[in-house]
Amino acid sequence: MSAPIVPNLLRDHLSDLAMNDARLDGRGQYQGREIKLETGILPRAEGSARVTMGNTIVLAGVKFQLMTPYPDRPNQGGLMCSCEVRPIAGRHWEAGPPSPESIELGRVVDRGIRESGCIDVDDLCIIPGEKAWQVILDLHAISDDGNLFDAFALAGIAALRSAIIPAEKFEVGQDSPLKVSKKPIMCSYHKVGGRFVYDASYKEELGGDERIHITLGDDDHVHSLQKGLKGIFTADEFADIMEHAKKRCAELRELMD
Amino acid sequence: MGGYGDVQMIDENGLRMDGRKPGDVRPITIETGVVPVADGSCRMVWGTNEAIVAVYGPMEAHPRKIQRQDRAVIDVAYNMAPFSTTDRIRPGFNRRSREISKVTKDALESVVLLELYPRSKIRVSIEIISAEAGTRCVGLTAASVALADAGIPMTDMVVSVASGKVNDVVVCDLNKEEDNYGEADLPMGILPNTGELVFLQMDGDLSPDEFKQAWDYNVDAAMQVHKLMVEALKGGAN
Repeated sequence: MSAPIVPNLLRDHLSDLAMNDARLDGRGQYQGREIKLETGILPRAEGSARVTMGNTIVLAGVKFQLMTPYPDRPNQGGLMCSCEVRPIAGRHWEAGPPSPESIELGRVVDRGIRESGCIDVDDLCIIPGEKAWQVILDLHAISDDGNLFDAFALAGIAALRSAIIPAEKFEVGQDSPLKVSKKPIMCSYHKVGGRFVYDASYKEELGGDERIHITLGDDDHVHSLQKGLKGIFTADEFADIMEHAKKRCAELRELMD
Repeated sequence: MGGYGDVQMIDENGLRMDGRKPGDVRPITIETGVVPVADGSCRMVWGTNEAIVAVYGPMEAHPRKIQRQDRAVIDVAYNMAPFSTTDRIRPGFNRRSREISKVTKDALESVVLLELYPRSKIRVSIEIISAEAGTRCVGLTAASVALADAGIPMTDMVVSVASGKVNDVVVCDLNKEEDNYGEADLPMGILPNTGELVFLQMDGDLSPDEFKQAWDYNVDAAMQVHKLMVEALKGGAN
């Protein structure tokens, strides 16, 4: 990503808005954009989802491969999460090797899903020490108007929940749904004009400071946290957004059923 | 070309595996404005191919060394999503996608009025979301629609179609099996208003008569597809 020029005018404007408890697009501080979640939309993927949040659109596709289990974990398969933000998604994304930004994106989403334990890697073993499934979740951005993190995380877990293990194609048994026991959800907050807002748009990200990502599993267990970009926040600020994240994650979990 | 002559792909009635007659094109749907943050965009579903194309620009060309003082440059990136095929594709550049990006750029630079935008760059991003066969044709055709959707002046839109040969029968718009096991593949990029060509590739084995037939199928198909492209663009303006 080429370093975008951030006009001080935009930062000033965002500060003024924050002072009046307003946002660029008229939303409240913790109000998210409308979310549309569709599954089973990619004919070549074993599981798939598309998430539309305002003008942010992402795809997630699940593919399966056979792998040899690692010698120290002969009874386990694998889960891999890979994220690509290609130039299609916005003029600020450029072709070339993955940027640090897109690597961070992929890894934060990966941790939330992996650490929740929603996929039992022991379940992916076919023959101990010889054959196991590797689940590959590919996240692909189509249109970036901010908060790719939450969009990717939601599309990712929804795609996994829709996935069918293609055992017949690989001649190792019968096709069956991938078992996904939990629903980890990510909520992201961006410091804009001196306060945290939920689900920042691209302009808010551009004129904002640090961001915080929280992934909560079922029963509000915390599975991943990440603070990104330059900025300082207080324990009280964190407690506030954590409180909101708990409510929001519960709502999004319902959206998935 | 696999050249597996023993795979039967044309039945006794002369119909293809998907029920098409030799000259038929797969069903096509075209939508514009599908990437809200782009200056122009297009989703084209062609059989079970799906391409999404976004156009950004004209914008500042950088790095500076790619600038041309008298015209714009087009930067095309063709890419197949990892989940677009039966076996997952490892992300990142490969020789195939580089070649397709290049020939697509060469085709588009032949129709866009580049001299109107000196020192600038027009970015065309082609993402194949689902691949069946003929993704380079779908990508190029969808790119033309996306450029038109972005309001970039062109002499004509490029319509790209591939015909080929299976079981010694010339067929239009190859599907996956026909592409894998067929005997020839002739993709062309046609300008529907003049019948001129800006893109041409071929591999396989065609007699002079078969070549003529494949060529004619492509031209006819291009005219049909062109109508759908114009309709989609008109619909987008309403």
